[in-house]
Amino acid sequence: MTDYILQTEALRKAFGGLVAVDNVSVNITRGAMHSIIGPNGAGKTTFFNLLNGTFKPTSGRVIYKGEDITEQPMHRRIHLGIGRSFQITNIFPNLTVLENVRLAAQAISDVNFHWFRPASRYTQFERRAFEVLELVGLRDEAFYPANVLPHGGKRKLELAILLAPDPEVMLLDEPTAGMASEQVPQLMETIATIKAQGNKTIVMVEHNMNVVMGVSDRITVMNLGRVLAEGAPAEIAKNETVQRVYLGELYGDLSEAGGAHG
Amino acid sequence: MNRVGKFLKENWLYLTVLVLLILLPHLIGWATDSSPLGVQRGDRFIMRGQSTYWQSVFIELFALAILVMSYNLMFGFTGVISFGHALFFGGGAYITGMTLEFMGLEPTLGLLVGVLLTLGICGLLGLTIGLATLRLRGVYFAIFTLAIAEMVWVFFGRFPATNGEDGLTLKSLPTFIDPTQNRIFLYYIALAAFAFTFFFIRRLVSSPTGRVFQAIRENEERAKAIGYHTLRFKLFAITVASTMAGGAGILHGILNKSARPEYLSVTHTVDALLMTIIGGVGTFVGPVLGAAGLELADVLLRDAKLTLGTTVINVGESWNFLLGLVFIVVVLVFPYGIVGTWHRWRAQRRKPK
Repeated sequence: MTDYILQTEALRKAFGGLVAVDNVSVNITRGAMHSIIGPNGAGKTTFFNLLNGTFKPTSGRVIYKGEDITEQPMHRRIHLGIGRSFQITNIFPNLTVLENVRLAAQAISDVNFHWFRPASRYTQFERRAFEVLELVGLRDEAFYPANVLPHGGKRKLELAILLAPDPEVMLLDEPTAGMASEQVPQLMETIATIKAQGNKTIVMVEHNMNVVMGVSDRITVMNLGRVLAEGAPAEIAKNETVQRVYLGELYGDLSEAGGAHG
Repeated sequence: MNRVGKFLKENWLYLTVLVLLILLPHLIGWATDSSPLGVQRGDRFIMRGQSTYWQSVFIELFALAILVMSYNLMFGFTGVISFGHALFFGGGAYITGMTLEFMGLEPTLGLLVGVLLTLGICGLLGLTIGLATLRLRGVYFAIFTLAIAEMVWVFFGRFPATNGEDGLTLKSLPTFIDPTQNRIFLYYIALAAFAFTFFFIRRLVSSPTGRVFQAIRENEERAKAIGYHTLRFKLFAITVASTMAGGAGILHGILNKSARPEYLSVTHTVDALLMTIIGGVGTFVGPVLGAAGLELADVLLRDAKLTLGTTVINVGESWNFLLGLVFIVVVLVFPYGIVGTWHRWRAQRRKPK
């Protein structure tokens, strides 16, 4: 039997009359890189919001390590080991890059209500923050205010904030969104490094097909809130339903990728 | 030794100011040839002369500074905007005043009980209001706090036991702290409260908890997403701030020997808000400087006259107008407040190319 770390059962989310996520059951294998793709409005981000607890589902369940976490609020899920990055850059703009990451490392500790000792004495969080900044390549920018980073830098910071508490499951919402294409390979290399360490499960929503096909172990295709297909990257590329509904775009991207590498 | 040295190095400026404030009544006394104790008549002292006058100005300033610092803790560091902060300021004066006047305790004991009751009730009230309303967002929370404060203001304006509009006069103050008999003692109490609040808040905002406050101010949703139960931190901030505002109200009440409905009015909240913004939201020293600057300007310029061509403007009468003008200029020239803009200007020079 496969070891699933995160599962959804018939997950459904309706906003008034609009059903954004409809009867989605997905099983995510421990240690895998599982991508979720689909055209705009397919419900990918809403699905993510249900996984990390931003929204409560209208019906259905979210199971983590065999336990029902549907009712757990967002801030509890970090403590359980589920971290999430955002598609739209979502940082603490006026704090330093270091402090952005340090806060994320501190969050899962038990010192958050130590209110009379300077935070600088808790060096473990700062050490962890530097470790992560080194990994994503922001070590030299540690003392700048976060809002002066260029867009690519902010995407890296987003990833660093996610990594700081060392989550078991990383939910990456379009990590390369809006990045200049020449910066994408570097970020994906970082993600590949994290994956190679082997102790993390990565769930990624992505628009950029080149990225998805290359690194994923498994792909779920969503359309209009439903699961259209699921399988290994090669199966998805061959799947006829997927081709009919959606793959015009994917083929375009694939041939482009072939050109770039060939 | 090393830690003492480090402490002195980081705080030498604050400590110098503290020493100056401790010496202030004597310095003014020496410079103007007046006694810091007032003028002796038999076995009593009459509060006359420059030194005692400036003591009362500074007691008021310390009370305002505590109010503004507490406001800054909520607004500047945690991002919680309340329009009802005067509730705790006026409430502090009323609770202490009513304890002194109505409980029939011996004055010193009465004052002690009054202070403890005030701090306890204000903290608890802040926590309760926070619990009931902090789930509301931004402007809704602000309006709700305004409504509560205004309700209490109207209530005390008509409450017969505390003489409605006229307010309650504090007749049972113990003599050692009575500003009409022994002002210098009240001066040192107020200074101690001010210094304590200053170092307390400084310590708090640089602690792990204080760092989370700032994260909430910057981006509350993100703070939740990285695992903070933000409501708890906001409750903590509002409880501490309410307690401190109550303390400021006690000082204000004792200095004026009264508890009046206008202490509860929204003017005090707006003053705190303006002083915070002018000094620099979320900076440490800014709001204190804002409070000191506006209070001293008010005292020094009250009787000044400004001649523009043939028009003579009486500064005291047009004070609110001039304050508004100053506010507009500061906001336009120093968008982050005076201290905040200075910090930014320095940070700019470290910015990556």
